[in-house]
Amino acid sequence: MKRDTQPSPRRWLAAHAAGQRGWLMLAALAGIAAGALTVAQMALLAWIVSRLLVDGAPLASLTSAFLLLVAALVARALCQWGQELSGQLASLRIRHAVRAELLDHLAAMGPVRAGARHSAGLANQLVEQVEALDGYFARFLPQLRLCVAIPLLILVVVVSLDWLAALFLLLAAPLIPLFMALVGMGAERLNRDQFVAVSRLSGHFLDRVRGIATLQLFGRTREAATEVHAAADEYRRLSMRTLRVAFLSSAVLEFFASVAIAVVAIYVGFGLLGYIEFGPAEELTLFSGLLVLLLAPEFFQPLRTLAQHYHDRAAALGAADGMLALLSEPVRPTHSAASPPSAPERCVALAAVTLTHPGRGQVLGPLDVVVERGDTLVVSGPSGAGKSALLQLLAGFVAPASGQRLAAPDLKIAWMDQRPLLIHGSLAENLRLAAPQASDAELERALAHAGLAELVAALPQGIHTPLGERGSGLSGGQAQRLALARVFLSDAELVLLDEPTASLDEATEARVIESLRRLGKDGRTLVIATHHPALMAMASRRLALHEGREQALEAGG
Amino acid sequence: MSNRSLRATFAPWLRLLAQRRTRLAIGVLLLIVTVFSAVGLLTLSGWFIAASALAGMALAMGMAVAFDVYVPGAGIRFFAVSRTVARYGERLYNHDTVLRLLADLRHRLFTAMARLDDRSLARQRASDWLNRLTADIDTLDGLYLRLLAPPAVALAAITLLAGFLALWVPMVGLAVAALLVPTWAWLTAGQAWLGMASSKRQVAHLQRLRSQAIEHLTGLAELEAYRSREWHRQNFFQREARLSRDQQRLAGVAGLGVALVNLMVGLGMVAALWLVAAAWQQGAISGAVMVMMPIAVLALGEVLALLPAAFTQLGASRGAAERLNEVEEAGQATLSAGHAQLPTGALSVRLRELVLHYPGALAPALQDLDLVVAPGQRLALTGASGAGKSSVAALLTRRMPPSQGEILLGDIPLGEVDEASLRERVAILGQRIDLFQDSLASNLRLAAPEAADAQLWQALAWVELADWAEALPQGLATPVGEGGRALSGGQARRLALARLWLRDPGLVILDEPFAGLDAGTVARLSPRLDAWLTGRSVLYLVHQLDGGAFDPPGITREQRL
Repeated sequence: MKRDTQPSPRRWLAAHAAGQRGWLMLAALAGIAAGALTVAQMALLAWIVSRLLVDGAPLASLTSAFLLLVAALVARALCQWGQELSGQLASLRIRHAVRAELLDHLAAMGPVRAGARHSAGLANQLVEQVEALDGYFARFLPQLRLCVAIPLLILVVVVSLDWLAALFLLLAAPLIPLFMALVGMGAERLNRDQFVAVSRLSGHFLDRVRGIATLQLFGRTREAATEVHAAADEYRRLSMRTLRVAFLSSAVLEFFASVAIAVVAIYVGFGLLGYIEFGPAEELTLFSGLLVLLLAPEFFQPLRTLAQHYHDRAAALGAADGMLALLSEPVRPTHSAASPPSAPERCVALAAVTLTHPGRGQVLGPLDVVVERGDTLVVSGPSGAGKSALLQLLAGFVAPASGQRLAAPDLKIAWMDQRPLLIHGSLAENLRLAAPQASDAELERALAHAGLAELVAALPQGIHTPLGERGSGLSGGQAQRLALARVFLSDAELVLLDEPTASLDEATEARVIESLRRLGKDGRTLVIATHHPALMAMASRRLALHEGREQALEAGG
Repeated sequence: MSNRSLRATFAPWLRLLAQRRTRLAIGVLLLIVTVFSAVGLLTLSGWFIAASALAGMALAMGMAVAFDVYVPGAGIRFFAVSRTVARYGERLYNHDTVLRLLADLRHRLFTAMARLDDRSLARQRASDWLNRLTADIDTLDGLYLRLLAPPAVALAAITLLAGFLALWVPMVGLAVAALLVPTWAWLTAGQAWLGMASSKRQVAHLQRLRSQAIEHLTGLAELEAYRSREWHRQNFFQREARLSRDQQRLAGVAGLGVALVNLMVGLGMVAALWLVAAAWQQGAISGAVMVMMPIAVLALGEVLALLPAAFTQLGASRGAAERLNEVEEAGQATLSAGHAQLPTGALSVRLRELVLHYPGALAPALQDLDLVVAPGQRLALTGASGAGKSSVAALLTRRMPPSQGEILLGDIPLGEVDEASLRERVAILGQRIDLFQDSLASNLRLAAPEAADAQLWQALAWVELADWAEALPQGLATPVGEGGRALSGGQARRLALARLWLRDPGLVILDEPFAGLDAGTVARLSPRLDAWLTGRSVLYLVHQLDGGAFDPPGITREQRL
C-alpha cells in the first residue's frame, strides 16, 4: 500500500481484493459454473417434458436424461459449496492482511501518537471493523461478478430460443437499478431528516445504562425503565417511516422480476396458441417456451442476491473509511535518523529538540538534554510542563518536530508509567514480557525488589496466579509495583520512570523509593519524572521544566 | 449439546416473544402469503404454457379445442402483483414487530440491570460490556425473524405443497414430503448441531481478540521498550487464527446447507417429474398438470434458502441468550430490603467488624472495619486511592453486600431499611457524575421529581448557575447532550451539587465535592455547603487532609483506612 496520497476507500478495498485474486476468482468461477449448471438443469427439465408431451416418448427411454439431471444437480451443489468456501477463504486472508497493515502502522506511529487515540475505539477498528469487511469480500464481490455473468449467459440462451422474450428481460433489467436508485435517493433524504432524532433515540438506552448507578442512588430506576421502553417505541415509530420508503427499493426489484415472469408466461402461452403472428412467436415450442419461463426467475436471481448483500458493501466502505483515516496518520521517521552520541559515556542525548502535539501546538523545547551512563536524572515541574513528553522523546516513542535524538547503538530501555500494561495471564507471564528467558527465581527476586514478595507469598499459586482481564484482582498500587518488578527484571541500561510513586500509599512508597535507589546503585541510568521530595533527593542531576522549557539545570546530588 | 439446556436458555426470551403472539402469527401468515404467491406464479405459469402448447398442437392438427386464456392470464397477473405487495407488507409488518420486540427486550434488561450491585456495574463500566450487551440484544431481537418465522414458514410451505400435489397424485405428495421434511429437519437441527460449538466460540474469540487488541494498544510503550511488541502481536494473531478456524468451519457448514437446499429441492423436482410422468402415461392426470408439479417443487428452494445461514449461527444466539440470562440472574441476587423507615433528622452510622472481599481479588478490600458517626457529626475518611473509601460508600448506600459484619443506619440494620426511605434519606455526591441526555430540568428533577420550576431555579442560584441558565435560549429545557457533554466539567459538577440541594437527606456522603471547580467558586460555594450540611450527618471521602484546594468544612473527626 502506498500512503503518499490517501486512496479512496473503494480503491483500498480493491487493492486488498487484488491480493486474494485467486480465491476470489475461484469463488466467482464456481458461482458461474453453478449458474451454467442451473441453465443445464432447466434445459433438461424442459427437454424431458417436451419429449414426453410432444413426442410421446416412453418414460423408460428417458432414464439417461433423468440421470444426467441428477448429475447436474450434484455438480451444482458442489459448485455452490465451493463458492462459499473460497469466498470465505479470501475474506479470512484479507482480514488478516488488513489487521497486519493496521498493526504495522500503529507500531510505526509509535506509542505516543497511537496512544493518543482512544484505545477502545482503535480496538474496535482492529476487531469489529475488520470483521465488517467479511460480507464484502466473501459474498458481495463474487456476487458482483455473477450479477454480470449469469444474466448474460441466460440472455444468450434465451436469445437463441426467442429473441422477443429476451427483449422483455433485457428491458426489465436496466429499469431495475434505475428505479432502485430513485427510491434509494428518496430514502436517503428521509434518512438524513430523521438521522438526528433516530440516533438520539438509539443512544438513549446506552445513556441510561451508563448512568444506572446514579438512577439507583436517586431511586429512579422504575421510571427510567418506563422511559427506556417509551424511547425504544419512539425509535420504532421514526424508523418505520424510513423503512416504508427503504423497502420500496426491494419491492421494485421484486415487482419487475414478477412482472417479467408474468409477461414471459403470457407471451409464451399466447405464442404457443398461435395468437401472436409476428416475430419469432410462431416458432415457439413447448421446449423453448418452458425453458424461457424457467430461466426468467434465474435471470433476476443474482441481482436479488446482490441486493441482499448490498449492506455488506456499505458496511465495508464505512469501515474502510475509518481505517484509511488511521492509516493516513503520520509515522515516526525510521531509526536511520538516530545516530550515536559523540562521546561513549553518553547514553542518550537530545539536541535542540522540540515536540508538537496536534491541536496543542508546541509542548516541549527547544531543549538540550544529555543523559550520561550511571546518571540519576530527576525531571520535575508542574503538571503539563512536558515531563512525560521529555521521557517519551528520550525513549524514542515519538519523533521530535525538530532537533535530534542521539542514542547509543542498541540501547536497551525499561519503561514504567502510571498506566502499566497488564496482560491476561499469570503474574509470571506478565513479568516475562520484560525478559522472556527469566527463571522463576529471577522473577521472585524482581518481585521482592518491587515490594510484592509478601503478596505473592500469600497466594496459593504464587507467581502462577492468573490475573483477570486488564489486571482485575490487582489494586492500582499493586499494578504499579508489578510494572516496577519488570524494570528490575529487565537488563535494560536506561530506565525511564514516569511518576513511579503516584497512587501508592506511604508505606509502599517508601519501599519503592528504596528499591529505586538500589537500581541506581547497580549502575543503571535512571531518568525519573516526579514531584516526590524523596525521589528528588536521589538525583545526581536535576532538570526543572516549565511550560516545556528548561528552568534551571543544577549539578548536585 | 443437550437440547434441554438449549430450550432452557431460550425459554425466558421465547416467553417474552410470546407476549406478542398475535403479531408474530400475523407476520408468519404474511410470509406464507408471500411464498404462496411466488410458488403460485411459477406453477400457474408452467401449467399455462404446457396447456397452451397442448392446445396449440391440437389446433394445429385441426381439432376444435376450447381453451380459456383469460382466467389463467388473470391468475398470473394476480400472483405477480400479490407477490410484490405481500413481500412489501410482510417486511414492513415484521420489521415493526422486531422493533417492538427490541423495545420489550431493552425494558426487560434495563429492569434487570437496575438491580445489579455496585461491583458488577463498575466492572462492566470498565470492560466493553456495554458493546457486548448491545450486540447481544441485537442478536436476540432477530430471534423471531431469523430463527422462528423462517422454519415455521418453510415447514408450512412443504406440507401445504405436498398436500396439494397429493390431491392429484398421492405418491408425488408423499415423495416430496419424504424428501423435503427430513431436509427441513437437517437444515434446522442438523445445521445448528454442526455449527453450535464453533459459532458460540466465535463470540468468545472475538471478545478475547478485542481485549488483546486493547492490551496491545495501551501497552505499546512498555512493549516497545522491552522489545516484546512482536511477541504480543504474535499472541494476537494466534487468537485470530483460532477465530479464523472457527469461521472457516462455519462457512463450510453454512455452504453445505446452501448446497443441500438446492440439491434436495432439485431431487424433489426430479422425483416428482418421474412419478407424474408415470401417472400421466397411465392417464391419471392431464399433461399440463404434469408440467406444473415439478415446477411447483422447484419454487420451494427460495423458502428453504434462509435456513442454513441462520441455524449454523444458532450457537451465537445461544451465547447471547446465556449472557443476558446471567445479567438477569445477577440482578435477581438483589440486596435484601425491608420496610423499616429511617428516622427524620441527622442519621447515625455504625459499621461493626466489617469485611469486604471481592470475589477474585487477591486481598480483602476492607478488613475488620469499625466506624461510627453520631447524628450531625462530620467524619473525614482518609486513605490512598484503593484503600476502600468508595467501597464504604457503596456499602452504606446498599449497593454492595458486606462479606461479614454489620451496618446500622439510624440504629436500624441496613438490610431492614425500606428502599424508598433509604434513597430519600441517604445522598451521595461521588467523583463520577452522571448526567443524562435530557433537559436541564429533567436532570435536576431526578433528585426531586415533584419540584416546581421555581425550586429548580433556586437550586441553580445556589450553585451560581442561574445567570448562565437564564441566558440560554431554551432555559431549563436546554438539552445537556449525551452524558452532559454540552456542559463543561465545572458546570456538570455544580449541577450535581444543585441536585444534592434539592433533597433533604439525613446522611450525606461527599467524595471531593468541588473537584474541577476553580478556587474562587469553591470559596463562594464552600460556606453555603457548610450551612446546608448543618443538621445532617456527613461522611467526607478524602485522599489526605493536607489543606489542598478544598478543606472540607466542619470536620469533627478523621479516620484513616
